[in-house]
Amino acid sequence: MPSEYHLVIDGETAEENWVYLNDDTALDALTDAPTIISLTRLKAQADALRARNAPLGVVLEADGDGKTSLGEDVHELAPYLDMVSLVALRFPAYRNGRGYSAARILREQMDYEGELRATGDVLYDQWAMMARCGINAFELAANTPLDSFKTALGEFSGAYQPAADGDSDAKTGWRRNRF
Amino acid sequence: MYRYDEFDHKLVAERVNQFRGQVERRVSGELTEDQFKPLRLMNGVYLQLHAYMLRVAIPYGTLRSEQMRMLAHIARKYDRGYGHFTTRQNIQYNWPALDQIPDLLDELARVEMHAIQTSGNCIRNVTSDQYAGAVDGEVEDPRIISEIIRQWSTFHPEFTYLPRKFKIAVTGHAQDRAAIKLHDIGIVVKQNDAGEVGYEVHVGGGQGRTPFVAKKMNDFVHKAKLLAYLEAVMRVYNMLGRRDNSYKARIKILVHETGEEEMRRMVEEEFAKIDASEMLTVPQEEIDRISAYFAPPAYESLPADSDAFTAAQDTDADFARFVRANVVAHKQPGYGIINISLKPIGGVPGDATDAQMDVIAELAERYSFDEVRVTHEQNLVLPHVKLDDVKAVYDALAAHDLATANLGLISDQIACPGLDYCNLANARSIPLAQEISERFADLDRQYDIGELKIKISGCINACGHHHVGHIGILGVDKKGTEFYQISLGGSADENAAIGAITGRAFTEEDVVDAIETVVTTYTDLRQGDERFIDTYNRVGMEPFKERLYAE
Repeated sequence: MPSEYHLVIDGETAEENWVYLNDDTALDALTDAPTIISLTRLKAQADALRARNAPLGVVLEADGDGKTSLGEDVHELAPYLDMVSLVALRFPAYRNGRGYSAARILREQMDYEGELRATGDVLYDQWAMMARCGINAFELAANTPLDSFKTALGEFSGAYQPAADGDSDAKTGWRRNRF
Repeated sequence: MYRYDEFDHKLVAERVNQFRGQVERRVSGELTEDQFKPLRLMNGVYLQLHAYMLRVAIPYGTLRSEQMRMLAHIARKYDRGYGHFTTRQNIQYNWPALDQIPDLLDELARVEMHAIQTSGNCIRNVTSDQYAGAVDGEVEDPRIISEIIRQWSTFHPEFTYLPRKFKIAVTGHAQDRAAIKLHDIGIVVKQNDAGEVGYEVHVGGGQGRTPFVAKKMNDFVHKAKLLAYLEAVMRVYNMLGRRDNSYKARIKILVHETGEEEMRRMVEEEFAKIDASEMLTVPQEEIDRISAYFAPPAYESLPADSDAFTAAQDTDADFARFVRANVVAHKQPGYGIINISLKPIGGVPGDATDAQMDVIAELAERYSFDEVRVTHEQNLVLPHVKLDDVKAVYDALAAHDLATANLGLISDQIACPGLDYCNLANARSIPLAQEISERFADLDRQYDIGELKIKISGCINACGHHHVGHIGILGVDKKGTEFYQISLGGSADENAAIGAITGRAFTEEDVVDAIETVVTTYTDLRQGDERFIDTYNRVGMEPFKERLYAE
């Protein structure tokens, strides 16, 4: 995430209610505040986390530790999706587009309906594509006005192919106008 | 031919506007070169050795004369009076100014053309058979599904930042002229036992530093489900393709490292999910709508033979040679397919001047139902010419240095731009192609040698397809000196094969002699009417090696 950012959810400026908690901080430090944790922690401490009574989010890392690692597999979230109301996809570099597939799998195959957030190195020119893949929350650099976000999302009036942002019926999803 | 409707026009116009904004942000400094790079690449703009280069898409290599005229106009107005046709059936301009590119794209859009996804790590321009719709024996015109794929892959939100570039080729004919097995995905249109048209899908072919022939992933994908299948392949690749090393990032490496069986299993699993959603099942109305654009032109009913055509060959030996090398049988009686070689002796393979492009546009309009094709071997085609008219077309071509009668012969070489333009190259390709073509300039000798495909790359990225040349030449750099490695036995057709390296590389001074040695070894050894590749496949590498490296 940019160190300073403002949040846009569903196209509107939104309050940031979440905090990212890194794995080095003990779990008992968890407050009742909505908290975003790693997949590693979610898997390791699922039982304890289930007992907790506050909103939980998870961030999916794209790079993993080693250079050759692909990063975390979105399918691993399946057993825990009922526990989380936010999934953040990390884009470690704008060139790394693995998260676009993860987003569509979450929306179209895993029936995830909660907040789906892009965090990391995301350019103006990518927001519209991300939105089409089902991402609905963006961490915008503090100096990026909401207007440019809206402009970016409106640059194309239609799409050739169905994706996660519209009617999934082929007859309407095929070559359709978006607005 | 496909024509844009309002929907296509609007999206292309919006893309030009978007890119205009991106160029402005780059010029103002809001975007760094690093941030601008993927954006300009996705609009076909490369930064070359000396200048920006723009690559314009020619979907499946099909052009109307109006479009060819626009390409000529662009060469005149924004470039230095020429363009370069590429192995992906596109055209490149080597000298446009960055700040003029949005205007150039505006002009292109007026004739339904663009530079979208001609580079960058996305799905590139779909390529196909240059004889599509004209040659006998096709299951179906491959441009129908190519256009459907073009639309599906344009601005695909999920597959715009792939691990690496992604190329798809389609053939509708058993004779593969589109090199489909050397593509990330190669598609063969075929018919199943029930008589339904569908697609055989090959995955993981490619050249570059680790060449592979594609593996057959699926024997028959139903027509309406091809996009679902392609999306499954793409998704598996986007999720699992390597991003840590650009040389290992193509899908060929994923297929190789994962294994064909496991890859097939993963693709089928993903395909089942996408198919079940029916999201990407192409509606029959859409297939019908696109198919209608590729209905055959209004041919005249003609006798199979033309007296005028035969008589002209009897009286004009040069014309007879041209017919023998460059004119191919058409499926419609009384018509022929004319190949226009962009490989004049001593010329730059694939280059055409603005005046030449205008002439070809004129001929297409007058004699070939308004159509021109670009081939992956960097030549052009007038696909539907009456045999009665072939002589008139030939005369007009000859007047503009466009009647070189060398199709498929030793001087019809593929060469990448090489060190003269490209900042990746180790060695020059164009001057070498020119030297070889001059060495073998004698057409009678070329006919005697017969079909022989020389392909030259200036570096290991293999843009000149050297791996699949009957004779391949690869430029390598050794301590600042250009050397050339020779390989033999490659093939890009339905019997696709990767060539084998002969041995140590040759200096710039020696390489043309070495090619001559390879050729004379072949002519000494050939039996009957064996082509070079047949002789090589029969005798193997050894006899060539012996002659090449004899002390």
